[in-house]
Amino acid sequence: MRVLQLDNVQEVLRAGDSARLPSNAAARFKPGDAVRTRNFQPPGHTRLPRYARAKHGVVAIDHGVFVFPDTHAASGDKKPQHLYSVRFTMRELWGEGASDIDTVHMDMFDDYLQPA
Amino acid sequence: MNGAHDMGGMHGFGPINPEPDEPVFHAEWEKRVFALTVATGFGGEWNIDMVRFARESTDPAIYLRSTYYEKWLLGLQRLLIERGHLSEDEIARRMARIAAEQAAGGQR
Repeated sequence: MRVLQLDNVQEVLRAGDSARLPSNAAARFKPGDAVRTRNFQPPGHTRLPRYARAKHGVVAIDHGVFVFPDTHAASGDKKPQHLYSVRFTMRELWGEGASDIDTVHMDMFDDYLQPA
Repeated sequence: MNGAHDMGGMHGFGPINPEPDEPVFHAEWEKRVFALTVATGFGGEWNIDMVRFARESTDPAIYLRSTYYEKWLLGLQRLLIERGHLSEDEIARRMARIAAEQAAGGQR
């Protein structure tokens, strides 16, 4: 087991850690694609908030390949996959009374998305 | 999980009051919780997403009334107990000893 020594603390904290992975995992979506988030209620960890489930959006940016937190939390499986910035209207997320021109961008893993 | 941490869209918590020049830590013990979390995580027995899940697994009523670093501490305690490094009894006995020392006017 690695042990954090006093002499290493500054270096470790300064370096930080990245969830970006070198991988050639295929991207299922590209900027401009219409998508719909999945509707699931997993008992384990997920980064897909409840208010963003079963919502329609548009892929804005493909960030590249990252660790998938849902499986990483459960078993340590990194399940490398693309992470996208997806644009949703406030109306889509919050319903009537919410703006249909203001938008929210949320980072969404490939596994959270379906074609729409 | 559909835990108390997933607060988007919930009402009734009152205004958010950002502090100007917010300090990184608000109390000395918070530094210790940060250090414990980094030092124990460095061993590689768990990863950041497992730590997040442990924090989210805190009882919802306790989660909602805990501060940021209290949530970190509760999550770390859960992991240390689940993995067999500490027992609830050991934590309770240590807390009782510290409380007794403080009541006697001693230094921690």
